[in-house]
Amino acid sequence: MKKVLFLGLLAIGLVGISPAQQKKQPTKKEAGVKPEEVRRVLLSGFEQDPKFLWKLEQDESQRICSQYPSMEAMPAQAVQKVIELENKNITYPQWGIAWGDWKEGKKLVDNPRGGRYASYGFSDKPTDKGGNCYACHLIEKGVPGGTMGPQLTGYGKRYGITKENMNSPEGLEKLKTVYKIVYNSWHAFPCSAMPRFGYHGSLSPEDVMNIATYLLHPESPVNK
Amino acid sequence: MRKILLTSAVFGLACAGFLGYQTVKAQDQELSPEEEIRLVQEFNRMMAEGINPGEIWAEMGKEAFKKYNLDKCDFGLGPGKIEGALAQLPRYFPDAKRVMDLETRIGWCLQQYAGMTPEQVKKFAKQCWGKSQCMGEYDAIVMYVSMASNGQKINVNLKDPQVRRMYEIGKQIYYARLGPWDFNCATCHAGQKEARIRATKLWSADRPGEAGQAVSIFPKYLVRWSQPVTMHYRYAECIRQMRWPTFEPHSDLAVALSAFLYGTANGTEIKVPGIGR
Ligand code: HEC
Ligand code: HEC
Repeated sequence: MKKVLFLGLLAIGLVGISPAQQKKQPTKKEAGVKPEEVRRVLLSGFEQDPKFLWKLEQDESQRICSQYPSMEAMPAQAVQKVIELENKNITYPQWGIAWGDWKEGKKLVDNPRGGRYASYGFSDKPTDKGGNCYACHLIEKGVPGGTMGPQLTGYGKRYGITKENMNSPEGLEKLKTVYKIVYNSWHAFPCSAMPRFGYHGSLSPEDVMNIATYLLHPESPVNK
Repeated sequence: MRKILLTSAVFGLACAGFLGYQTVKAQDQELSPEEEIRLVQEFNRMMAEGINPGEIWAEMGKEAFKKYNLDKCDFGLGPGKIEGALAQLPRYFPDAKRVMDLETRIGWCLQQYAGMTPEQVKKFAKQCWGKSQCMGEYDAIVMYVSMASNGQKINVNLKDPQVRRMYEIGKQIYYARLGPWDFNCATCHAGQKEARIRATKLWSADRPGEAGQAVSIFPKYLVRWSQPVTMHYRYAECIRQMRWPTFEPHSDLAVALSAFLYGTANGTEIKVPGIGR
């Protein structure tokens, strides 16, 4: 029964995906491996729990990014295409651009658990929410972090955000800039290592606003 | 002398009860700073003294290998012949009509010669996943067979079209951006610039020799979990971090990744078990 369900999902997935894939994927002639074959091998490698198989659907930008070993290797046209696609993939909180709660943002930044669920061992839950930002960034002074992404210590100071100017149109424009980066990094850095947290729904618009506030607010420990 | 020490350690553990040792519950990865420091100290001590507890598993694996009739298992060099077996895997096996890497082959042989069902094999292989201080017979078997290739150079036959095909598929998957966090393997294991995830240095497929250094030491003993990690468990852990669905050992995905990684590692000397924090 489960199997049937899975096969059904597989069929839907393949139908949904293959047309675009055939057009885009530059199946290397020398390799002679068809995209469907790669897909079959990929799908063979996971527990067939329908609850989680949606994770394996590839969107257009992911397909483009998969064709190049690194961002540097991307032709300008591909870069342009991803930027264009991802600029459409940003939504804002209902009330628009306004400062959030940096303390809430800090919690999400600190929490490494978001989305990291497997059916064996470990106590992560599918509902856990967090950006694990320290894995890739150095953020608050003295807190250990990764170096995959740029250092974010004093990020608000770098933007020149002060108590006085934070609610000016320029201040809010800067908040919006950072909101957009965290919501959908690929609109600014196509195919970056940094996940598109908001676009995928791993973080809600409110969550992202709180995180942007945490990075920029003059009272946040990031800027102390 | 060292041998005796190890043997008595195995004996001690066996007395303490395989079972007792095994039931430590799933650990979490976030450690307190004090625990981190203790781990580093323990790791440094083991390095200085040249101790690798992973070897204890090999002793145990020798027994388990016999117990599950794996002397009938052909790893590509003839039934029961394990010297150098790891070095030439993955390869194509006509009897199974599949390219297989070491762990996949062990799983297949457990079905053929130990009467296990595919489900039992999966369970057996995942016995220690997400645990610590777990002494699993499967990990022991993998360790025992792997260590029999120590000193040999990885030599995957990429001229074989079947192996080549899996290598190419593995390569494409290595670069496939996928899932709700947009990762591919290359997010963490590519590029010229050295990157760290928290405090952990990441190996890169683009820096010469690093893929070889990464795979040639597997299974690798992890001090923080007090148990070895096999290649398939490592894949599962990376995939868990990638927020993809839960990984299945012995799958074609595992074989494709192994074909790509071990193929890239050709020429590297096997040194099992590795050790890490
Ligand atoms: C897997 C790695 C990774 C994770 C996780 C990650 N980032 Fe990033 N981040 C990057 C990289 C890499 C860049 C640089 C962009 C580029 O060139 O690709 C970046 C860039 C940024 C920037 C722009 C920096 C600038 O120069 O202005 C901000 C802000 C940022 N990240 C915030 C965050 C926050 C907040 C989180 C967590 C919610 C996070 N990042 C999680 C990798 C990551
Ligand atoms: C989010 C980051 C991340 C991604 C993506 C990732 N890995 Fe890893 N990988 C790690 C970390 C962290 C380690 C542990 C390194 C250590 O302990 O020295 C590791 C270790 C490994 C190792 C063993 C190296 C060693 O010495 O322990 C292999 C092999 C490996 N990864 C393969 C892969 C493959 C194949 C993929 C894709 C399917 C992948 N990784 C994706 C983070 C990642």
